[in-house]
Formats: sequence, C-alpha cells, structure tokens
Amino acid sequence: MSATQLIENLERLRDEFHTAIEPLADEQAIRAAQAQFLGKKGKVSELMKELGKLPPGDRPQVGTAANNVKNFIEAMVEQRLRSLADRAAKADLARSIDVTLPARPVAAGHLHLLTQVRLEAVQIFSELGFVVAEGPQIDTDWNTFEALAIPKDHPARDMQDTFYVSEDIVLRTHTSPVQVRTMLTQAPPIRIVSPGHVFRRDDDPTHSPMFTQIEGLAVDEGLSFADLKGVLIHFVSRFFQRDLTVRLRPSYFPFVEPGAEVDMQCSFCMGAGGACRVCKGTGWVEIGGAGVVDPDVFANVKIDSEKYTGFAFGMGLERMAMLRHGVNDIKFYYEGDVRFLEQF
Amino acid sequence: MKILWSWLLELCDLDRQPTVEEGARALTRGGLEIEGMTNLGAGFTGVVVAQVVGKKPHPQADKLTLVDVITERGGAATQVVCGAPNVPEAGRKVLWAQIGAKLPGPAGTPGGLTLAAKPVKGVVSPGMLCAEDELGLGESHAGIIVLDADDPTALGAPAQQALGLDDWMLEVNAPANRGDVLGHLGIARELVAVLRGTLVLPDVDLSAYAGAGEPGAGRVEIAIQDPEACRRYIARVIDGVTVAEGTSPLARRIAQRLRGVGVRPISNLVDVTNYVMFELGQPLHAFDAHALKAGVVGVSNASDGEKFTTLDGIERTLVAGDLVIRDGDRGIALAGVMGGLDSEVTSRTTRVLLESASFRPLSIRRTARRLGLHSEASHRFERGVDPELAELASARAARLLCMVGGGKVLGEAVDAYPGKRTVASITVRMPRVRMVSGVALEPSTCRDALERLGCVVAGSGETLDVTPPSARADITREVDVIEEVLRIVGYEQVPASLPALRQPPPLRPADPGDVARRALAAAGLCEAITFAFQSAERSGALGLEVTDRRSQPIAIHNPMSADQALMRTSLLPNLIAAVTRNQSHGRPDVALFEVGSVFLRRGEGAAERPIHELADEPLWAAGVFAGRRPGHIGYGTPWDVFDAKAYAQVAIRAIAGASVEIKTRATSTVPYLHPGIAGELLLGQTVIGWFGEVHPDVRRKLGAEGSLFAFDVDLSKLPAARPPQMTSIPRFPGSARDVSLLLGASIPAARVEDVIAQVADPLVSSVRLLEDYRDAKLGEGMKSMLWSISYRAPDRTLTDAEVEKAHEAIVARLVEHLPAARR
Repeated sequence: MSATQLIENLERLRDEFHTAIEPLADEQAIRAAQAQFLGKKGKVSELMKELGKLPPGDRPQVGTAANNVKNFIEAMVEQRLRSLADRAAKADLARSIDVTLPARPVAAGHLHLLTQVRLEAVQIFSELGFVVAEGPQIDTDWNTFEALAIPKDHPARDMQDTFYVSEDIVLRTHTSPVQVRTMLTQAPPIRIVSPGHVFRRDDDPTHSPMFTQIEGLAVDEGLSFADLKGVLIHFVSRFFQRDLTVRLRPSYFPFVEPGAEVDMQCSFCMGAGGACRVCKGTGWVEIGGAGVVDPDVFANVKIDSEKYTGFAFGMGLERMAMLRHGVNDIKFYYEGDVRFLEQF
Repeated sequence: MKILWSWLLELCDLDRQPTVEEGARALTRGGLEIEGMTNLGAGFTGVVVAQVVGKKPHPQADKLTLVDVITERGGAATQVVCGAPNVPEAGRKVLWAQIGAKLPGPAGTPGGLTLAAKPVKGVVSPGMLCAEDELGLGESHAGIIVLDADDPTALGAPAQQALGLDDWMLEVNAPANRGDVLGHLGIARELVAVLRGTLVLPDVDLSAYAGAGEPGAGRVEIAIQDPEACRRYIARVIDGVTVAEGTSPLARRIAQRLRGVGVRPISNLVDVTNYVMFELGQPLHAFDAHALKAGVVGVSNASDGEKFTTLDGIERTLVAGDLVIRDGDRGIALAGVMGGLDSEVTSRTTRVLLESASFRPLSIRRTARRLGLHSEASHRFERGVDPELAELASARAARLLCMVGGGKVLGEAVDAYPGKRTVASITVRMPRVRMVSGVALEPSTCRDALERLGCVVAGSGETLDVTPPSARADITREVDVIEEVLRIVGYEQVPASLPALRQPPPLRPADPGDVARRALAAAGLCEAITFAFQSAERSGALGLEVTDRRSQPIAIHNPMSADQALMRTSLLPNLIAAVTRNQSHGRPDVALFEVGSVFLRRGEGAAERPIHELADEPLWAAGVFAGRRPGHIGYGTPWDVFDAKAYAQVAIRAIAGASVEIKTRATSTVPYLHPGIAGELLLGQTVIGWFGEVHPDVRRKLGAEGSLFAFDVDLSKLPAARPPQMTSIPRFPGSARDVSLLLGASIPAARVEDVIAQVADPLVSSVRLLEDYRDAKLGEGMKSMLWSISYRAPDRTLTDAEVEKAHEAIVARLVEHLPAARR
C-alpha cells in the first residue's frame, strides 16, 4: 500500500466513524465505537501496521494524517458526548411535578395540653430553684389533712369534698401531702413544686372530679409573704409572656397563715375590665390559693417555726391552660377526643 | 351567706357612707369575698307609689273599678282601670305601674312586659295597679297591693322603696374559720374595721314588755352536764304571744328581709328567731313552754341508742356524743341541730321558752353529719358561736317577739354560763410581724388596725399585748394577729421580692413518664389523659384472670357515679373507650397513648381486705391504634400490630436506652389480646409489656369498631439509661450476603435471629429480613424467608473468602437447627 492509499484509507476510516457515530445516543455505544476505531486492535491501529512497510521518507506524511484522523475522532466523540449530556440535562430540566399535591404526612404527635403546661410551669419554677417532688395519688388521711391542720370534723373539710378509699385512706384532694412528705424527710432549706392529679367530688364545666394541680413550697430562714408574692408574679408573667401583676386577697386555708386567694391581672384585657368576659369585667382572675406556712403544720412535721418560715401556693393547671388557650370546658381535657388533642 | 346591704348599714356608723360597690370591694379586700350582688328591685321599673283619691264602678263591667290616683299631694288625678276586688277607700296608697313600666310578665315571658295605654271595655287605662304576682314578688293575685295606712313612703316614689326592694343582696363567701361573720353584725364589724367607723348594736330594750306575771313566774332551772359541750344557756319565757302570719308593718318588714336573704317566712314567731339569727349570727330555738313540765331545762349527752323524734316527725337513734336539751329527763331538742316534735311551737302556742345558747362545734357537726340534718343553726354552731352573743340575741329576740307577737316577758332571763372564759392576751413581736409579712410596719399602724377590729392593745414599742374581741375565737396566736394586721393594712401593701437561693437544689433524675411522653409524641402519637377511675364494667372488660393483681381494683368508697367507682389497674380500658368516643364522632383514625399511674392493692389476696395502706402506683405506658395512619394521596395504610410493637419499643428505648435489647415472644395467653396476634416484650428474662391486636370480645365490650391494636408497658420495671457511649465509626467496608431459606411456617423470625446470634461470629454486623413469603406452592405449612447478613471487621477489609466462610457457617447452622432448606 502506498502512502497515498494509506492516507486515503485513513480518511475513509474517518468518514466511516462519522457515519457510525451519527445514530449513537448513549455514552457506552459511543465509547465502544471509539474503541473500535482507536483501540489497540482498532481499525486505525490495524491500518497503521502498514506504516512500517512504507519507505521511511513517506512515513511522516502518513503519521501526520493518522494523527489528524485520531484527533478528529476524539474531537467528534467529545462533541458528541457533550451534546448528549446537554440533551440529557435539558431533558432532566424538562421534567415537572405537580407540587401542589398534598405533602406526604409526617406522623405529627402531640403532648397533651396539660402536659405541655405542666412542663412549662415546672421549668419556670425551676428558674427560681424549685425542684419537682412527687407522691402517691392515694394517700393517708394524715398526710392529706391532719398534718395540714385540717383535723377530722373540721369545717374546712367541707371545702374539699373527698373521695375515700377507706376511713383513713383517701384520693388526695390536693398535692399538699407531697409537701408533708418532703418536710418529713428533708431538712430546710426546701424549695419544691409538686404537680399532679388530684381528686374532688365536683363535676361541672369548671370542675372535674380529677384535675391537675401544681403546688409550691419554700421553707428557709427569713422567707416572707413578700417572697411569695414575688414568686407568683414571676410565674404568671413568664407563663403568659406578659408583665402581669398579682393581687393577694385575704382568705382562709387551715395550713397557711396569713392565707390568700391569688388573683392575677386578667391576661385578656390586661386588667382593663370593661366588657371582658374572661374576668367578667373585674380585671382580675382567680388562679389559686397561697400563704405563709402555718406554725401548726411545722409542728406536725417537726420543723422549728421560730427558726424557719415558709410559703406555699397552689393552682389548677386546667385553669391556667383555659386562661391561656381559651379552653371553655374542663371536660375536654379528659375525653381523649383527638379533635381537641390535635389542636395543641 | 346572703346579706342585705340596708340591714348591714343599719348596724354600722361609718365615717363616710359607701356605695354598695364600695362596700363590697372593702369586704372582699379584707377577706370576706363578695361572690355576687343582686339588686332586689331590678325585677321591674316605672312603678310608683300613688294615692287613691276616688273610685267608681266601670260603666261597662261589674268587676272593674275606675280608680282616681295622684302621685303628688294636690296634683291632678289620673283614672286607672282596676280589676281587683280590693280597691281601697280614698287616702290609701297603692302601686301604680305607669305607661312604659317594665314588669316581669307571666313566668317565662322573654324580656318581660312593657306597659302601653290600652282600652279596657271602652275606657283607656294609663297602666295598672299592681298585685304581688305582677311585680314578681309572689304568687298572690288575690288583690292589688295596698300599703299600710301609716306607710311613710312619699307619693310618686319608686314602688321599690315601699316594698323594701331598694336594696342589694350580697353573697358572702365566709371562710370556714369565721363563725363570727355568719350574721350581719359580724360583717358589720368587718366593714367598720376596713372603712373606719363604729358598730351600732340593735335595740334590745325590754322595759316596755317586762313584768308580766307574779314574781318568780316562768322561772326555770338550767342544768348543764358538761360546760365544754354547752358553755352558756340562756332561757327566757315570753307569755301571751299569738303565733300567726305576721301582718304588722314590723312583721312584714321582717318577712321581707328574710325573703331577701333567701329564707321563707313562716310565722311571726319563727320569723323572729330566724331574723335574729341572720342579724346577729346566734341561732335561737323556741319551745312551747306549756309542753315543758319539769321546770328544769337540762343539757346533757344522749345515751347510746336513745330514741328521739325530731320536729320533722322522724324518730332518730342517738349516740353518746349527741347533745340533747331536756325537760327533766325527756329529750326536747337535739341541741343546735333540730327541735323535738312534742315541744314544737304551734299556732296554739301562747307561752314560749326562748333558748339562746352556745354549743361545742365538734359535737354539733358530728350529729348534723351523722343524721344528715344540716340547718342554718347547725351551720353556725359548727363554726363556733360566741357565748357572749347569747345575751344580746336573747334580749333582741324577746323584744321583737313581744312587738310582733303581742307578748310580755315573764320574769327574768335565766343565764347559765359555766363556760365563761376570759380571753387571753397574745404577745406580738414587731420584728416577727415584719419578718412574716415582709412589710416594714410600725407598732402604731398595728395598734390602729387591731383596735379597728375591736382588739384591746396594750404595750407599745416592739412588743404588743393583744386581746381579741370575744367573737374572734379564731385569733389565738401571734401569727393570727399578724394576718389580722395585714388584712386591715391591706395585702396590696406587701411588696414583691424574690427569695435568695442559698444552696443548689438537690439533684433529681429525669422523670421516666415525661421521657416516654416526649418520645411517643415526637414519634407521632397523640397523648391522652384519662380518668384514674372507671366503671366496674369497663374495669372488667379486659377479662383478666383472678390471679392477676390487676383484676382486683381498689374501690372508691363514695364515688360520684358508677362510672367512677374503681381505680384503674390498666390504662387500656379508658383509652379504648376514647377510641370508641372518637369513632362515634366520625373520627375512625385514632392513634393515642397515655402514660400514667395504675393503682394496685398491696399484698396477696388483697381483694377481701379493706384497704388501710397505700396502693402500689406503678407508671405504665399504653397506646391504641385504630383505622389508618395519615396517607399522602388516598386513605393511608391501616395501622397494624407492628405499629403497636414499634411504639412500645419507642417508649422502652426512651427510658432504658437506644441500645437496649428488647426481645419479643409470641403469646396466646393475654386475655385482652388476640391469641394469634400478640407478643410479649422482654428485657432480659423480665416481661415488661405486651402488644398485639385487641381481642375482639374486649373491643366489642368497650364499643370500639374494626381492628384495634394496642400496647401496654410497665415503665416502672425499666432501668434508667446511662448516658450512651460512642462506638467507633467503621473505617473499613463491610459486605453482605443473602440467604434464602425454605422453612416451617410456624418458625418465628425471632428464632432465626436467635440461631444466627448463637453462632456468635464477631464479623456479623447486622442481620436484616428482606422477605417473608408464604405461598401454597412452597408446600403445606412452609414459608420462604430471605435474609441479608452483613459482615465487617473493625481493622481490615474482609476478603471474599473470609466472608464466604463466615456466611456458609451460619447458613449451615440455620439449615441444621431451624431446620430449613436453602433455596
């Protein structure tokens, strides 16, 4: 084969590749075609075996032609692959999905509103050094009443109509027995909050036979009624995320003296009253009871009332949640109705 | 307790006359909460006092009268048509509802009635003359209201004035320790203390009514057995009374006021005793003196089993603690609770023995409670009635009785007062006052506050000696005095401070209940809180064996209803009932959990024993799944047993740690779960809970429809997790090999995992089930399982040969031990 023929054949291979690659539409086939021409045993290599048979003077000419063909094929492959990639990218971008179809539901759980409110209340009190103390829901009459200066046959027992399990065992009517248990086992200083279920024979839109209280107790040297007031103001302001004030009103609970009803500035009308339906126009809403621990209680739990003073407070979490979230009937809390539970 | 504003003001001389709102605010601020205020005259408007100046028959109707009335002296008369039979003669006053007047109208008239001029048989009547019922004052339509001849109300004044309705009724929430405020006098004492003023005692002058009968007439002896049980007893005899419906202006005024405080008037005599009780707080009792024979009034304990017939005609059996008033030996009253039938005052009574006494609160309370006889009298005695009050009340009642009943006091009152005490003074230290109150109070401020309350204060400087008034038996200690001072000074004077924290709070582990709650909610369940009690029916629905502690719930002795009779021993019944409730409200898709205590009797065979000890209150978690999980497009897939299992594991791992090994074992013996679709969860060898499909019978008993899945786990059995420790991240790749097995359909997956685990090849890093396939083509009772086992070494890349060798060893073990065939 002469140099000219060889060059012609190389150029024919080039054209042949051009024709072969034209219909190919994926990288693998294109690479295979490339190998078929440029590979070690490819058509170009086969043809170049003829190169050695040429007179040395003709070889550079053919070598150049071979390189040209090789470059041409490689460039063609590149270009072809690039255009394929471009097409693929375009095709990918041409895809479309109706994104207004509903989102795939993620299982969304809910802590009960009372759990949320309880955890939050505990958190707020913990900022002031109060830790949670708990006790049984079925407790002795002594822990529930006697130790708190409410002897049997005391008219104050009428204030809390009690469920009895037996003569001396009751469903606790408040979480105060936890205070008694704590004072019996722990020396002052004491700072506890006791959230939990309590039970009273009462059933109407604002009373449930089971409800949730949170009570606090602090016992230390030098605690006063003013400290009680400060703690309560801190709590209601943090809980409602507003600067609210607290009004203490003289009242009677056998286990505190001085004793007080706790009124909070109405969080709906901010104390303006008027036509406010939450506070019935008074500007205040009652949220619980409080006072300075009665020396008789300290005597019952063997704490020296000359050395130590203390204060205690209690409120219903249902009521706090009602005030903050507008729940209008206490029964919703305990019915397990998902239409209610899912709202919080 | 209900009080009348006018009555209260009668007993006060205040520095400045307050409005009723100011009065209510002052009392509330001082600790007597005013829970409600009612304007007694709000029932009607536009009705005035008018005087009849002439009358003539209606020309067209026999029963109608044309009445000329004036509303000012010398004014022009107006003609009103009246249908009543009792139109008075000229000069008397009547109540004229003028045009535009608003009246309550017949019962149930919405918004009431507004009068307009209308012709009555041809004569136009500008309004009408009113009967009681038309003003909503009573039932009577027998005739129009005619005021007394000497009625002082000015012509043209609102009818409310003439009827005693220009008044307010206040509802006082009296604290349980304040027996002294159960009468207007005690509340007046509070009002004069808060607003500054003096108390005005009611008129008790008997001079006009004294001296009936010969000297010594009506004299009785009083014999008190126990001066603690009866500290004082005053008897007084009034002779010549006529018991009747009170008709005099005073009797009517008394009846009006009683109605105002919610007491039905009965007769002049009973009304007077009630009136004085509401005025002063001292309950009184009147005996028919002719029924008393012995001349000795005794106060003594009942003997056990003693019979006594109370005035309601019921024979009562008494116990030793009951206090009895006796005529000689014969019981005539249950002291402070109820009188006896055969000494009761009747319409024939002419001589009355009036009792004004002070009884031990505890005794009255026990008797009243035991017999279910709660009365206005027992309510007051239970809370303590000041013995010093008895004399005032006796004289006050005697005076009123003589005035309205026409009697005379016979002889002198007999006053037995064995329980007289001098009130001890209380030492009050000013530093203590300041420390407890948190207010920098001066001794002079304290003295002023206490004196306003009627205390006698001696001493000055930093120590005060305080003697409270006898009515205030609740003030016995320094701290009681501090409260009184603070009450009068005003709680609003107390500043707010925050207590310093002197030492760090004690450590407290995380609450496992809250850990589980947060984990379950985060994993997609909705938390419910249900009652801790339930009905016997619901409690029994789980069908627990009698040997199961949970089958012996603790009963509430005095439940409010059968629905709340038993303490729960499992969370599931109330939760399943919540599913039922949701289903009935059109919410079939429900996934709820609850974390809470259940209540178990302590000790063995406890069911028969009464409970005198506390319960065990372990914390459980339970979940129920009905319907479908939320879907993307379409309805979502139904919840199934593996959801119940998964969420049980969520709760367990949240508490016991993510790496804890939870084993599952099929069980057919949990009575509330389907025998073929139930598993127990084990931690080591301990069963800590169950999951499965709720047994169809249980589900039906609780009303739930369709397949229902559940878990319940005893959280109290779980150890608390330690902080998780990091394991090193693998640096070398692993490789997986699959094995397809043909094996008996009854061989559980857990068995396959166990066999793999038994090989204990440290190269095994994970085992995963890819397919659980059942088909008749596989052969009777056979199934096929495809497992993937991953192998990895921590220190090198495993060679194919190493993996192959490990895998083949495991497969051989499976084939031999399950047994199974390799497919």
